[in-house]
Amino acid sequence: MIALGLRLAVAGGREAATRLVVVALAVALGTGLLLATLAGINATKTQNLRYTWLNSGVAEASTAARPGVDPVWWLGRENYFRGEELLRIDVAATGPAAPAFPGIPAVPGAGEFYVSPALHDLLRTVPAGELGDRFPGREIGVIGDAALPSPDTLLAVVGQAPSSLEVLPSAAKISSVLSGDTTTCMRCIVGLNDTMFTVSLSVIAAALIFPVLIFIGTATRLSAARREQRFAAMRLVGATPRQVSVLATVESTVAAFAGALLGFGVFFALRPGLATIPFTGATFFPNDLALTWVDVLTVGVGIPIGAAVAARLALRRVRISPLGVTRRVTPKPPRAWRLIPLLAGVAELAWFVGRRPETTNGQTFAYLAGAVLMVAGLVLAGPWLTMRIARLVAARAQRPAALIAGRRLADDPMAAFRAVSGLVVALFVMTAASGAITSYVAERARPAADSAAATSLTEHFWAEDLVPGAPVPSVSDIPAELSTIQGVRAVLAVREGDLQRARNGDIPEGPGVIACTDLARFPEYGACAPGAVTAAVWPDLIGPRTPGYSRAQQRVWPASTITDLDSRRLLSVVVQTDGSDAAKERARTVLATMRPWGWYPATEAEFESDSARTLVQFQRLADVVILASLPIAGCSLAVSVIAGLTDRKRPFSVLRLTGVRIRMLRAVVGLETVVPLLVVAAVAIGAGLLAATLFLRAQLDYPLHAPGGGYYAIVGGGLVASFAIIAATLPLLRRITGPETARNE
Amino acid sequence: MIEARGVTLSFGETPALRGADLRVAEGEILAVMGPSGSGKSTLLHCLAGILVPDSGEIHFAGQRVDTLDEGARSALRRDRFGFVFQFGQLVPELTAVENVALPLLLAGTRRRAAVAEASTWFTRLDLDGLQERRSGELSGGQAQRVALARGLVARPRVLFADEPTGSLDSLTGEHVMDLLVGSAREQGTTVVVVTHEARVAAYADREVIVRDGKVTSLDAEPALS
Amino acid sequence: MWCMVLGMSVPLTLLGLLEREPSHGYDLKRDYDTFFGRGKPLPFGQVYATLARLARDGKVVIATEPGDGPERKRYIITETGASEVDAWLVEPLEPEPHLQTVLFAKVVLAIMLGRPAEEYLDTQRRAHLARMRELTEVKRGGNLVDALLADHGLFHLEADLRWIDTTVARLDALTKAVTR
Repeated sequence: MIALGLRLAVAGGREAATRLVVVALAVALGTGLLLATLAGINATKTQNLRYTWLNSGVAEASTAARPGVDPVWWLGRENYFRGEELLRIDVAATGPAAPAFPGIPAVPGAGEFYVSPALHDLLRTVPAGELGDRFPGREIGVIGDAALPSPDTLLAVVGQAPSSLEVLPSAAKISSVLSGDTTTCMRCIVGLNDTMFTVSLSVIAAALIFPVLIFIGTATRLSAARREQRFAAMRLVGATPRQVSVLATVESTVAAFAGALLGFGVFFALRPGLATIPFTGATFFPNDLALTWVDVLTVGVGIPIGAAVAARLALRRVRISPLGVTRRVTPKPPRAWRLIPLLAGVAELAWFVGRRPETTNGQTFAYLAGAVLMVAGLVLAGPWLTMRIARLVAARAQRPAALIAGRRLADDPMAAFRAVSGLVVALFVMTAASGAITSYVAERARPAADSAAATSLTEHFWAEDLVPGAPVPSVSDIPAELSTIQGVRAVLAVREGDLQRARNGDIPEGPGVIACTDLARFPEYGACAPGAVTAAVWPDLIGPRTPGYSRAQQRVWPASTITDLDSRRLLSVVVQTDGSDAAKERARTVLATMRPWGWYPATEAEFESDSARTLVQFQRLADVVILASLPIAGCSLAVSVIAGLTDRKRPFSVLRLTGVRIRMLRAVVGLETVVPLLVVAAVAIGAGLLAATLFLRAQLDYPLHAPGGGYYAIVGGGLVASFAIIAATLPLLRRITGPETARNE
Repeated sequence: MIEARGVTLSFGETPALRGADLRVAEGEILAVMGPSGSGKSTLLHCLAGILVPDSGEIHFAGQRVDTLDEGARSALRRDRFGFVFQFGQLVPELTAVENVALPLLLAGTRRRAAVAEASTWFTRLDLDGLQERRSGELSGGQAQRVALARGLVARPRVLFADEPTGSLDSLTGEHVMDLLVGSAREQGTTVVVVTHEARVAAYADREVIVRDGKVTSLDAEPALS
Repeated sequence: MWCMVLGMSVPLTLLGLLEREPSHGYDLKRDYDTFFGRGKPLPFGQVYATLARLARDGKVVIATEPGDGPERKRYIITETGASEVDAWLVEPLEPEPHLQTVLFAKVVLAIMLGRPAEEYLDTQRRAHLARMRELTEVKRGGNLVDALLADHGLFHLEADLRWIDTTVARLDALTKAVTR
């Protein structure tokens, strides 16, 4: 029986071959996406493990003393280069039995340093004044991949004398290098929230795979009528229902198996490209995008089994009757209960507005549950909505095309909606993500590249951060060469103001103080109150951002009570550059020499870019989702258009014989597909924006900002692509409704 | 009313009509008989402007039909002709009365008026109470009568019927023919009915036989009107 | 019924056979039995009696050959006989049931004589259809009893017409079979 099934599957003529290929390709696409997702989850975990050791300085497990181990002094700092994060770890061995470090043969001695390959390349190509001068001594080697989260990681392990580090309050003594999972390490600071990435990857994967599954289902049903006839004929000559099931299952399983194999090929072909997508903010090592045996077996076996199940379900009817398919009956209309989960999801999200859960896990659960409810609710409510709209169209129709299309949609809204349900999920996820991200980014108002926040570097000299006993930097310590760097426009010194007032939350006043004569020369940093001699300012001359605060108007700083500036110690140095990389990096390198063990000077934009950049990447992923799923949904639609045409081949060709213009038939087909597509798109977009609004209100108390032009372009482009796919099926209409179809046979 | 002169038509290598001549008088009910594959349906399709002959002429009411373009022939079929086929002509999504109203809707009549006009045919064709049925809920004879109503509702000059009783038993078929002939006479509609059944042809005023792509007329040809 | 129909057409059938060529009584009986007898061979007595009657009416003449027995006599059709056959062939039968045999005899003879058999059949067809039209008219206008009686006639006429159609479709094959 299985052999017969195989023969029918491979030798079933062109139609069967087409179906096999279509199903196999759809399965391959779905499998590739699924594998990419699983590998992405694995890679995120692996990448996170590679971050672990960088937390050695703060974890109790590694800082606790161990017998027989000579501890190593450890100072981890964050640095920037051209907007990228550059990690620097200063180490000093206290004896020969130092703990082993990953990626390097031994702890570097004073005057030696190891760098990551990416940093190594930069050091060779970038002028020393911009980067190389930050590292004392000589490079003695390149850090191995085992110690790097990403091939792009900029990391330096710099050897120091123990005497230099032991006096620093921020340095720690470690007896082992931290390894393993960081989830138990409460104080770990470097690394990813991999639960968040896993969840978002899963959501994205679901949004991508759902349309593919729908497509597989639709393709399986393609020319189902003809196949059902064949199977019915077999039942008639005495094949048992079980045998027919086996036949049908074999056919789909062969396609699914071939597709799954092809999917592995797709995945491995795409892997190098996937690795270069900075999904977590950093690219992956291609080898980290690995699959476990469990993944391989689950996908390789699960997908063909899933396809077999789908085939059995699709051919349920035939197994019952040897007389084949009975007369077409109108399926039961969907009922209004289908709206409940959608409304419940909205209600759930709305309930959390003003009642934000305390813990991160609580928040994740609350919003995720709401989002999942809404997605499921949309898929459930879709047929009901399609039916309502279709009934409205049919009741109002004056033209035959609208009447016929409306009736057909109202008769079987499930079938019409099924074809576009993948789109619902994709559009909803994309709109919600886009809405939330756009608003978040807008509220955080990522500084414009030419604003002070992006062009001025600030080095702070907080009293509590300074090395005890070391000389306190003063204005005279500001390196003279700073102002000579090409592209540096100003070097401003901010002095310590009234810290008592600054700590009082009721007085919105910064902890620094600056002369109004200095400020007046650089209006981009704001202005003094009229008549004031000095102003109370934030050390970076920019200050914290407040939601809704507009940068368009010039900031006016409150007058300070301190007028004798020379008596105040130096609080910060602000260097205004022209915004060029060279000027910024040179200034950073020079400015850093004022405080050799402190955190590196950075622009406001650099501090903020981390979160915004990740979010923008999420948005880009969402774009990929929509771009991929809209055409897939279009293909599903096209297949269902063809099925709908084949169903009504004869009445349509008779209508054409009687002089009905093909235009009218085209309008029928067009309305039958465009109506559900547009209804679904509108509802999904509306629901997505609603979900984004509720999330923003509940979690961040931000208002919703309209998504940017790119969003509209992508949604519009995707819809246009779908319409184009539908339009591509229309020539078929002319062909299958030719006069020969209407001949009496 | 309708005339075919020396019509030939081949489907690929297979000749279907080889010089068919035919005249149909106004108000006449003509039966076209002939064995399967003789070309009788093809002749009907040519007369109705569905197919264009390879050579020869088709005239309708003094107008050349075969030289018109597809759009003009479609318009002619829509506005002047009615059609009844053997089976499967009703749009499954529409109710019976909407199917009948379809030609009126296509001609631009408002839906309410079209449905009202269509409803009057249900009484005339013994179809009362079936207005809201879908095609799947009608018997073969009922579906054919609905199709007949659709063919006549727009008051065509000519009704073309291709094996209108082909899928029906003899009694049901005769009922349909009885109504067809009765309604056509009442409206003065010219009817061309293709059939292979003599008892169906007996409802006509006159019969012609198509053999090997040619028309044999048994009675005197009517004068061209 | 069978005999009556047969009796009606035996003289004309024999005349028709003679129109092919002058024949002996035995040859006529053999050909008649082959094409028209169908399990009911014509008795010799009837053959000679019929031929005698035809000779008396001047439709055949007898050419006597030297020798003994009935085989000495060869029958030749006369002008009168030939025109009677002609008239009979052309004239359609009354469209009544059970005329297949006569119709069949006519068709076969027409083919044997190289006459247009198809035209005869078409003429018959027209007569049949005209009668069917009448009966249909009766049925449409009349009561149930009339309709049922008309239906009986219609179904039988339809059967004849089907036979006519089938025969027309196979005239070529039939021509081959009877002219050999």
